[in-house]
Amino acid sequence: MTYFPRNHDDIKAIIAQAMESERPLCITGTQTKSGLHEPVRAEEHLSLAEMSGIVDYEPEELVLVVRSGTRLDEINALLGQHNQMLAFEPADYSGLLSSDHSGTIGGVIATNISGSRRISAGAARDYLLGFDAISGRCDQFKSGSRVMKNVTGYDLSKLMCGSYGRLAVLSELTLKVLPSPQTVQTICVTTDSLANAQAIVSKAFRSSVEPSGGAILPEADQFASYVRIEGVAVSVADRVAALKNILEDDGSTTLLDADESHRLWQIITNVEQFAPVSGQVWKLSIVPSSLAQIMAELSRQSEMSYFADWAGGLVWLNTHDPEAGSFIRTIIAGNGGGYAHLVRGDASDAISRFQPQPEQLSNLQARIKTAFDPLHILNRDIMGRELPSEASEER
Amino acid sequence: MLLPPADHTILDRRSEIISALSALLPAGCVIDDEKSMSAFDTDGLSAYRNQPLVVVLPETSQQVADVMRWCRDNGVKIVPRGAGTSLSGGAIPLSDGVLLGLGKFNKITKIDYENRAVTAQPGVTNLGITLAVQDEGFYYAPDPSSQIACSIGGNIAENSGGVHCLKYGLTTNNVLGIEMVTMDGEILKIGGTHLDHDGFDILGVMTGSEGLLGVVTEVTVRILRKPASQRALLVGFDSAQEGGQAVSDVIAAGIIPAGMEMMDGPAINAAEDFVGAGYPRDAAALLIVELDGPEAEVDFLIEAVSEIVKKAGATSIRASTSEEERNQFWAGRKSAFPAVGRISPDYLCMDGTIPRKALPEMLTRMAAMSQKFGLRVANVFHAGDGNLHPLILFDANQPGELERAEEFGAEILRNCVALGGVLTGEHGVGVEKRDLMGEMFTEDDLKQQQRLKCAFDPQHLLNPGKVFPVLHRCAELGRLHVHHGKLPHPDIPRF
Repeated sequence: MTYFPRNHDDIKAIIAQAMESERPLCITGTQTKSGLHEPVRAEEHLSLAEMSGIVDYEPEELVLVVRSGTRLDEINALLGQHNQMLAFEPADYSGLLSSDHSGTIGGVIATNISGSRRISAGAARDYLLGFDAISGRCDQFKSGSRVMKNVTGYDLSKLMCGSYGRLAVLSELTLKVLPSPQTVQTICVTTDSLANAQAIVSKAFRSSVEPSGGAILPEADQFASYVRIEGVAVSVADRVAALKNILEDDGSTTLLDADESHRLWQIITNVEQFAPVSGQVWKLSIVPSSLAQIMAELSRQSEMSYFADWAGGLVWLNTHDPEAGSFIRTIIAGNGGGYAHLVRGDASDAISRFQPQPEQLSNLQARIKTAFDPLHILNRDIMGRELPSEASEER
Repeated sequence: MLLPPADHTILDRRSEIISALSALLPAGCVIDDEKSMSAFDTDGLSAYRNQPLVVVLPETSQQVADVMRWCRDNGVKIVPRGAGTSLSGGAIPLSDGVLLGLGKFNKITKIDYENRAVTAQPGVTNLGITLAVQDEGFYYAPDPSSQIACSIGGNIAENSGGVHCLKYGLTTNNVLGIEMVTMDGEILKIGGTHLDHDGFDILGVMTGSEGLLGVVTEVTVRILRKPASQRALLVGFDSAQEGGQAVSDVIAAGIIPAGMEMMDGPAINAAEDFVGAGYPRDAAALLIVELDGPEAEVDFLIEAVSEIVKKAGATSIRASTSEEERNQFWAGRKSAFPAVGRISPDYLCMDGTIPRKALPEMLTRMAAMSQKFGLRVANVFHAGDGNLHPLILFDANQPGELERAEEFGAEILRNCVALGGVLTGEHGVGVEKRDLMGEMFTEDDLKQQQRLKCAFDPQHLLNPGKVFPVLHRCAELGRLHVHHGKLPHPDIPRF
């Protein structure tokens, strides 16, 4: 049974009924990202697909207010007409996860999916200014506002981003938008070691050229470093020239023009390389300077193909080893920390999709969950088995 | 601006509490004599003073954890303190509370240029981080005006901003990780030099939590390469309307300057009298636009912005041609507060945010309020992001003027909310704006925020009396009110 609420009262009625009958709900947008998480332990679905539409868009105020079920395609098209964008470059995982389309803005926020520009512009969580929602207690509440400079009360918007629908049903989102860059170019340098490739990208980011993307793609027995430069035409030309100078001793360089750049960064952000592969696809967040060391240790354990984004801080891996998760996490922990998320595929039972948290942190997370959804109605077990709630009820 | 009444059972146990805390800390970490404690009895909201029960200045995270656990076990409140520069009274002590100062946590522990991150203890000043990396050409972007004194830990508590947040974001957009201590005495590490995480964004919700959710004992922040070029424009207008429109036009053209600051007539003249920066005295509004980045880009944008402000009706435009000249443009703006302090015995600095387009309307309303309350007001604001700092001039020695100034301030903030904005853009709620929270949030909104607090500090021992006007007990907040099998909203049709 799937419910399609159209307004706040509809959502409240569905949640109230779920609380009364003690039947949990699976909260979805248009179900394009089910592969990212564990199966939700619920038979009934609450879909936000019909809570769709632009509520308010003021380009000169850099603010967009939308209902959470609005399609990302629609938002990108609207912003594009005004030469604006969601600067965190939300990814389209439809290829990677075999879905029809790139999903809803609510899904983007719930999963904090941010693309290549995350390294310079920030993640989805840096662009959610405010929201309206219904909690797992059936309380309607709001947080944040339409203005960026706001420190009034707790920043619950941050809590909602990446929460996978576990705290509240988001109905309306207020987002910060930014002007799109006028043009873009990408410099490519090819070298023979991963360590050199990452050092090249790091050097670019430590310079004054202000890159907005840094990726490393293994190509046969070589490594290609890609650095994106965006902005007004005269600035891009200048900075590309400066970067070429900085990197002249590091290897042979080629230049990708605007169209080639758009295509390249789309492929990288959307993980297109792994759309057709079988096996597991892992997303790793690591300390960028540990990239070469981590990949050396991982390759000793098992055969895997990979590429890196976020100047080396984001690694996408494809492997067929069902035990890969445990040694991936051990190796990351031994190299400055980070996390690993099984984005697609199945691992052995002992391995959780999401990064296990230290006990004290997971206890705090459980208490935060109770604060919003004490009966565990919303997306139960979506990130793994949930600790039992200590909710008090008066009946 | 009342603080919660002191608990006499705590006051009666003062000696015992001091002994117990002294046993947990090295010598020289506990201050209990009245004269020495007076250095901690207020913060930047200096009209209000309150002596704490005792001051403790721990030196390690473990000591902080031990103190907090002991206080939890003994029901003793804690007020955390960084540099004590809060303008909203966030660090004002409680008479029955321990003042927990992080001043001894003053070391930078790691500078990582490879990964562009700095790890520092919370007592390090905001500017101290930039100074540590500037020789290599780096800096830490969020720049609150108090940066020479305010602590990075305090910046996290307030989610501090500054002139450059239009382009570079607030503290929350520049923090990579923290170590924090909970009221249970647990030391948690969140984030680090890697990006994002699985699980709830505790780092995000700790930032801006004003010392109510936990105590930060270490901070990792992002550092950026200093821009190759920085230039500024000094622009005069005959009206605030035209100035406000110019600001909107710049943004609408797809340009995000590093900063855009505005001053009104009274602020301009006070500044000129004080530092003589060369501001046009007859301008009704003065706009300073700063552009930074690669040289070619900055030069291009200076031209583009000049064209835009000219079309918007600017009566004078000057573009800086040297670093000295750029600093001179800023001299008046940076001295605006002391300049105003020179023309009035006292002033209240308010802090609210409105949508940019509402600027002219707000200034009109403020002129009317100035008449109504019989007090002068000078305006300085971060025009780029709509964050206002009205300076209400008064004389505390005149009976009733402080109260009138506070009412004027509250009225301004109510208008900010009414115009689609918020109560505070960077100074925080603290005690100053606590009783106005109902203007912006419903009871349900506030209760949900307090439920979050219950997850961190169910006994309400951390900084009570700040931010939230009414404290509900956690047991009460957790109840689901299911009576006789009926649930909330019984009138809504069930599916």
